Amino acid sequence: MSASTGQYGEIFDRGYLHYGGPRLGQTHAVWALARYSMARALGIRRPWTAKIIPMLLYAAVAIPVLIAVGIRAFFPAFEFLDYAAFFGAIFLLVGIFVAMIAPEMMSSDRHDRLLPLYFSRPIGRSSYVVAKLLAAGLLTLSMSVVPAVVLWFGNGLLADEPVAALRDSLDDLGRIAVAGTMIAFYLGAIALMISSFTGRKSIAVGVIILGFVLSESLSLAISEALRDQPDLARWTFAISPSRTIAAMVGQLFDEPDLAADIPLNASLGVMAVVIAICCVVMFAWYRRRD
Amino acid sequence: MHAEPNQPLSIETSALVKRYGDVLALDHVDLAVPRAAVGLLGPNGAGKSTLLKILLGLSRSNGGTARVLGRDAVVHGRELRMRVGYMPETDALPDNATAADFVSHMAEMSGLPRRAARQRAADVLYHVGLDEERYRLVKGFSTGMKQRVKLAQAIVHDPELVFLDEPTNGLDPLGREEMLELIDRIHRQLGILVVLSSHILDDVERVCDYVVVLDGGRVVASQPLHVPDDDSADLHVRVDGNPDPFLDTLREVGLEARPAGIEYSSDEFVIARRGDQTLDAIRDAAAATGSPLRLLRPATRSLEDLYVDSVGVGANGARGNGRGAAT
Repeated sequence: MSASTGQYGEIFDRGYLHYGGPRLGQTHAVWALARYSMARALGIRRPWTAKIIPMLLYAAVAIPVLIAVGIRAFFPAFEFLDYAAFFGAIFLLVGIFVAMIAPEMMSSDRHDRLLPLYFSRPIGRSSYVVAKLLAAGLLTLSMSVVPAVVLWFGNGLLADEPVAALRDSLDDLGRIAVAGTMIAFYLGAIALMISSFTGRKSIAVGVIILGFVLSESLSLAISEALRDQPDLARWTFAISPSRTIAAMVGQLFDEPDLAADIPLNASLGVMAVVIAICCVVMFAWYRRRD
Repeated sequence: MHAEPNQPLSIETSALVKRYGDVLALDHVDLAVPRAAVGLLGPNGAGKSTLLKILLGLSRSNGGTARVLGRDAVVHGRELRMRVGYMPETDALPDNATAADFVSHMAEMSGLPRRAARQRAADVLYHVGLDEERYRLVKGFSTGMKQRVKLAQAIVHDPELVFLDEPTNGLDPLGREEMLELIDRIHRQLGILVVLSSHILDDVERVCDYVVVLDGGRVVASQPLHVPDDDSADLHVRVDGNPDPFLDTLREVGLEARPAGIEYSSDEFVIARRGDQTLDAIRDAAAATGSPLRLLRPATRSLEDLYVDSVGVGANGARGNGRGAAT
C-alpha cells in the first residue's frame, strides 16, 4: 500500500496482513523441529564457536576414509581401512558426537524453557520426542553411514571394473547401512534419553561420555568375575555400547575377534531393546505430568 | 469489543477443577467470556496461570470442561493450538539464536510452510519494533526486546486469540508503556483477541474491555470493564464558583451531596441518585442558584473498586492495596 509518491521513490506502509496461506499438519511440524534441531546441533546460524566441535569430528571421521581411498588409488593391493576397522574405530568419535549433539537438542530446550512454547503449538509431546530422535538419528547417520558409503564407493570405483565391483559388493553396502543405522539410532537414543533429564548441557555431555567409558569397564569387570560361567559372562556385552557395537560389526563383516562369539541376532536384539527402552523412558518423561 | 452474535465465546468453562495434591488451584470455575480483550486479574496464586495452561492444553484439569473459541480444549486441543498464540511469563527464548530464526521456526511449528514462515517472521518482527535487530542474537537483547520477541512468536502464525501471561514483567516504565501499546494495537488494529493475565490493575485497565477476577481459584468477578451507561449509578457534579447555594438547594429537595474523594478535584461532589427526577432536580438547582454546571456524569466503578470489592483487603492490607500490583 503506497502512502506517498515522491520524486525519488515511494514510501510504503507495511500494514499488517493476515495470513491466508496453508497450515500444514503434524508431519510438517515434526520435520521442522527435526531440521531446526539438526541445524542448531551443527552450529548453523550460530556463532563460529558452536561449529568447531562438530566440524572437527566430521573431519576426524572423513580424513581416514579419504586417506584410505587415496592410498587405494596408488596401491590397489594395499587395504588401509576395511569396513570392520572403520566401524570399530568410529565408536569413540560417534560417541563424542552424540554426546555433543544430544544435549544441544534436548537439554537446551529445557534450559531455555522452550517446552511450554512447543507444547502450546500443534505438535504433541510424543511427536516432540519423535522429532528429536529423528534429528539425532539422521545427524549421527551422517557420521556413521556416509563416510562408510564413501569408502565403499571409492573402493568400487578404483577397482579394475568399477561397475562390476560395485555390483558385486552390494552386500557390503547393505551391511554398512545396517551397521551405520543401528549405531546411529542406538547411541543417539541413549544420548537423547540422558540429555532429556537435565537442562545443563555440560552435565549431559559428561554423563554420556562417562557412561560410554564406564559401561565398558563395568562390562569387562563383570565378565572377568564370571570367568567360571562363560555362557553368562558372554552376555555382559549387553551393558556396554562399545562391546555391543563391536559384536555387531564383527559378525556383519566377519571379524571373529570383534564378534567375540556373540551372535548377530543377540547384538542387534540388544540394540533394538535399548532403543525401545530409551524411547519409552522419554515418552513417559515428556508425558503431561500435571 | 467484538459482538458478532454467531461467533463462539472466546472462553467457556464449566465447573473447572484443578488440584495440585491437596491444593485446590481452580475451584469449580464457570466462565463465559465474550470475544474481547480480556484481562485475567488476581493476586499471585489465584489460579491465573493454571487456567491459561488448561486452556492451552498444557495441563489437564481434574474435572469440568473448558472450551476456547468454541472448541473443547482437550478433545480439539491440537486444532485449537493452531489458532491460538501463547506468550509465557518466563524468559522462554534461546540465547544463541537470532530473533528472525527463532520466530520463523515457531511459525513453522504452527504449521506455516518454510518460506511463508520466514516472511511472516520478518513482518511480525517489524510490527513489534524489531525490524533492525532481527538478525541479532537474542542473548544481546534487553528485557524489553526479549518481551517483544516473545510477543512476536505468539502472533507470528496469525492466531485468532493470543494468551499473554504477565507481558510487562520486568519492564521499565517506558518499556511497559510500549508493550501495552503493542498489545492494544494487536487487539484493536490487527483484530486478534487478547487474554491478558496480570496482577497489575493498570495493565488490564489500559488494554482490556472485559475482566475476570480470580481469587483462591474461584471466579469472584467476570464482567465488562467499562459500563458506558448505568442508570442507577450515583452522579458526579461540579459547579463553578461557590457550591454552597447549589448544595443547599439540593438538600431542600432531599438530595445529599458528599465530596467525591481525594482522587477527584476538591470541588467535585457525588449525589446519590433517587429515581428519574434526580437529574431534573440538579438542573433546576443549578438554574435557580445561577451556578454554572461544569460536570454531570454517572459515577463509574474503577477497576480498583471492582478488585477491592471482589478480592477484598486483608487485615494486613496486603491485598488489593492500590493501583499498582494487586498483591
